[in-house]
Amino acid sequence: MHPIRLILTLLLALLLTGAPGALAQADTVEALVRALPEGGYSEREKVIFALAETGDDRVARLLSVLGEGDLYLHEADGRVVAARRSGEGYAISDALSGEALGTVEKGALEKIRVNNRLRRAIDGAIAQLTLMSPRAPVRLSAARNLLKTAEPDALDLLDKALARESDADVRRVMEQARAAIVLKTETSVEEQLAAVEMLAERGDREALAMLTGALAGAAPPVQSALRSGIASVERRLALWDALQNVWYGLSLGSVLLLAAIGLAITFGVMGVINMAHGEIVMLGAYTTFAVQQVIRTSFPGLFDYSLAIALPLAFLIAALVGIAIERGIIRWLYGRPLETLLATWGLSLVLQQTVRTIFGPNNREVGNPAWMSGAFELGGLSITWNRLWIVAFALFVFAVLLAVLNRTQLGLQMRAVTQNRRMASAMGIRTPWVDAMTFGLGSGIAGMAGVALSQIDNVSPNLGQSYIIDSFMVVVFGGVGNLWGTLVGAFTLGVVNKFLEPYAGAVLGKILILVFIILFIQRRPRGLFALKGRAVDA
Amino acid sequence: MSDRQTLLYLDGVSVSFDGFKAINNLSLIVGHRELQAIIGPNGAGKTTMMDIITGKTRPDEGEVFFEGAIDLTRLDETAIAELGIGRKFQKPTVFESHTVWDNLALALKKPRGVFSTWFYHPSQEDVARLDEILDIIRLRPRRDALAANLSHGQKQWLEIGMLLAQDPKLLLVDEPVAGMTDAETVETAKLLKEIARTRSVVVVEHDMSFVRDLAARVTVLAEGSVLAQGSLDHVSADPRVIESYLGR
Amino acid sequence: MITKTLLRALDGKALWVLAALLLIAIAVPASNLALPSGHPLRVPDHFVPLLGKYLTYAMLALALDLVWGFCGILSLGHGAFFALGGYAMGMYLMRQIGDRGVYAHPILPDFMVFLNWKELPWFWYGFDMFWFSAVMVVVAPGLLAFVFGWFAFRSRVTGVYLSIITQAMTYALMLAFFRNDMGFGGNNGLTDFKDILGAPIQAGTTRAALFAASAVALGLCFLVCSAIVNSKLGKVLVAVRDAESRTRFLGYRVERYKLFAFTASAMMAGLAGALYVPQVGIINPGEFAPANSIEIVIWTAVGGRGTLVGPIIGAVLVNAGKSWFTGLFPEFWLFALGGLFVAVTLFLPRGIVGTLADAWHAMKARHRPASLEEGSPRPPKGSARMDPSPAE
Repeated sequence: MHPIRLILTLLLALLLTGAPGALAQADTVEALVRALPEGGYSEREKVIFALAETGDDRVARLLSVLGEGDLYLHEADGRVVAARRSGEGYAISDALSGEALGTVEKGALEKIRVNNRLRRAIDGAIAQLTLMSPRAPVRLSAARNLLKTAEPDALDLLDKALARESDADVRRVMEQARAAIVLKTETSVEEQLAAVEMLAERGDREALAMLTGALAGAAPPVQSALRSGIASVERRLALWDALQNVWYGLSLGSVLLLAAIGLAITFGVMGVINMAHGEIVMLGAYTTFAVQQVIRTSFPGLFDYSLAIALPLAFLIAALVGIAIERGIIRWLYGRPLETLLATWGLSLVLQQTVRTIFGPNNREVGNPAWMSGAFELGGLSITWNRLWIVAFALFVFAVLLAVLNRTQLGLQMRAVTQNRRMASAMGIRTPWVDAMTFGLGSGIAGMAGVALSQIDNVSPNLGQSYIIDSFMVVVFGGVGNLWGTLVGAFTLGVVNKFLEPYAGAVLGKILILVFIILFIQRRPRGLFALKGRAVDA
Repeated sequence: MSDRQTLLYLDGVSVSFDGFKAINNLSLIVGHRELQAIIGPNGAGKTTMMDIITGKTRPDEGEVFFEGAIDLTRLDETAIAELGIGRKFQKPTVFESHTVWDNLALALKKPRGVFSTWFYHPSQEDVARLDEILDIIRLRPRRDALAANLSHGQKQWLEIGMLLAQDPKLLLVDEPVAGMTDAETVETAKLLKEIARTRSVVVVEHDMSFVRDLAARVTVLAEGSVLAQGSLDHVSADPRVIESYLGR
Repeated sequence: MITKTLLRALDGKALWVLAALLLIAIAVPASNLALPSGHPLRVPDHFVPLLGKYLTYAMLALALDLVWGFCGILSLGHGAFFALGGYAMGMYLMRQIGDRGVYAHPILPDFMVFLNWKELPWFWYGFDMFWFSAVMVVVAPGLLAFVFGWFAFRSRVTGVYLSIITQAMTYALMLAFFRNDMGFGGNNGLTDFKDILGAPIQAGTTRAALFAASAVALGLCFLVCSAIVNSKLGKVLVAVRDAESRTRFLGYRVERYKLFAFTASAMMAGLAGALYVPQVGIINPGEFAPANSIEIVIWTAVGGRGTLVGPIIGAVLVNAGKSWFTGLFPEFWLFALGGLFVAVTLFLPRGIVGTLADAWHAMKARHRPASLEEGSPRPPKGSARMDPSPAE
């Protein structure tokens, strides 16, 4: 340790504790730790207090290990170590640094014992250490912890911490924790009312539980305040629930959008019904799986980039398959939509069985890269990273596609061919090439959708089938030949679905949606955003 | 709103498709047993006008009355056809997988209900009437040929024959002589004039010599409304008509 | 009028088909029951229900052909009507089990006892009577088709859109029937049947009778279809198929014609389903799967849509092929089926029967080109005067 810091630490320890001389002389953290095994419980308690006063970050961890009874004296070299059972012996690590020190036999260790009084002292010390920690995040999590436990003993400590707290966020949580404690203890009505108000303002499920818990033993004026507090929290929670449903709906909608947007091109723009669309999505998902397999075996370091590698690859593979389908089958069937439907359905069976033969019939595991795992809280919402990325990705794909259709040469030619094939051909546009490219584009997007779906769904040969009907519903609902319709259709169906689910259950909700769309098509056979005019009827 | 002389009455009819006004404040009157020709450049709204009369397209505003009191804008295609308005399309549409005979038999004025057709058997008069029509449209030798195998001109005639079999009060005939030889064109004009003795006929056509042969009142449409009306010579002399149509 | 229409249905070709059906209705059961086992001409026991199953599939394909081949409505949901008919029959068979079920409840079927239901749901009433069930076999699918078609055709949903919503319909029904609280046995469906009309369902004689019934029912459906397509009604249906809007301008209420064909077809499909269930011994929600309905389409397409014999031949051929194929190389059946879809649409759009008929006509035309126009059949002429109005 740096000499100056050593001196400062010693001085601080002396100033704060005024502890007996024997301890004071050796008041470095290391020395205190070495002192832990010595003497009886009362001496150990003093050492714990002294350790708490050091304010050292490492002490909290050490104390919690001690509280759990996992702290030992390594008899051979007199070191204090944390030990955990590992096979026959114990894996030990340095009590302060956490550095692994190998495995030893049980006989080489002597447990540093604690009793209930010591445990209370340890809890207090840890709370003190963390609540007074110089780092705000540590204080915040300590305050949250206290809010959950609402330990009445901690009230004094909390008041001390509040007195010196400067960070507004941490301060609020501390005040809420204090309110939670106040509600549990015998205090004046005014104080209790203030506490109720404080907790109602927090407004989450924990606050609701605390308020409801306090209702039984409260004084009449406090009770009515509690009731209105509970009501306001419930209103707030209902709002957050609705928002959460909207989020789930948007998330489902983005999945539908991804699956349907390629279809919106092949069906909407070209008028070709491709029942093998779902299987192209599936090919994209299996591409992701294959890429991850290669990465796992050969370049494990690249795992976090697996999706970035899989995306263009899936686009390419799916687009090539799509072009092959268009050139091989669909071009012979233009103008015969029902035949196209049957032929591509047959193709979907072949693709499914091919994948089943190569990869087997079972689900394949596709991993989430680190940046797509986990979740975060936003107000009362819990948002998982993979869903968020998929929403963003769906919107990104949509924007790119819109740009391709409206801003590029290919897009211009595609629209020209759609509107008047013969005219376009007369003007020198190679219509067969445009057909193939359009189909390739639609399929390529389906492939990318497969990469995204592999992150949230099972990758199996049936992946495509589960999306094909939903995708058609989205395109038909939104209106054919209109990408914006597909966007609105996907998100509407997603959100409606998620709102129905809590009331009707998942299956019945889905049935209701199907019935709704069947009825909707009766009302507006051409979807939400239909084109009007003579050409449509022709 | 209209006197007894009037069979079809259109007043102030407008319709637009996504902002484009296909028909703009169009008014038109067709009398009983009148032969009327409608000419106009492409996009003048001729076909859309027929769509409105036959119920395929609903006008955004305006009135369409048949026989004085029947509001056609409230009826669909089937009901309007039942009233006695027959239509021949620009592109000849006959039932290609049926024979000439079956095409005419389907058009013949008979009960149109599902079960009436199921248990229908042609009576002697029905057969005689169909034979008569076959003679009129000169397809008797081809009566058992599939309509798909007819020439373009023959299909036009078959469609006119189907109109006759329907026995309508008003015939709307869209470009009947497209793809016909000169001789056939002359015959068609004769036939239409013959038909117009007993019922009203509205003909849309581009072929000026054909329109001259019809010797009928001519209505010129341009940009969705009536530009001029009168005899062919009269409208041909109208400078606006020359500007918008004939002169180009 | 009706007899005349029926007589017209019995033209030369139809008579041959009916005779053939009658022959196998007698021959197959007779050979199975009368000949000693091991005789080379004897139809083996397990073949009787298998062949019976093919006949019900043929009925189903014929029903689909009436709407698709003749009226241009590609239904991707005909499996739903088949399954509904099957469920109606299954409910009758369940009630016939009586107290012989595992839980020995006198009224409730096993699955209801298992789900702790206390009484029979109202929609199971009446299914203990055969006549009621027989009526429901055609009424339930007919009603669904009528309601669905009434909405769809009235709002002029056509072509691919109609196909997609029929698919959505059967998909929705599949999800619904998978639910236990629908009261139709959920996932497992209805099975473990004991007897039908008092006869044990597994007995050889019962199976032979069911086979004969299937052949007769197929013959009846064929006769009805023939009576439809050979009448003016059939010609209107074809006109709707080829030029719907033209038909409308001729004054025909297209939606009513479509509704008639769709409903009639659904009822036939329901009858097929009702004969199917006792022969295979189970009905479950899997029958509603969209894939099943699309498979029916390929039977019809292979045989030749727009012909009445085609779907029958197609259904029997494809299903016999499926039985053979799945026995030998189960892995490759989907390849074969998928390939069949592609090959038929690309290379055999008129199906087997249609292609053969074309070849036959082409050959005839080459042999006597002059006489063709004058020599083909004409509509009846000069017969007694008839009132063309309906005879109901």
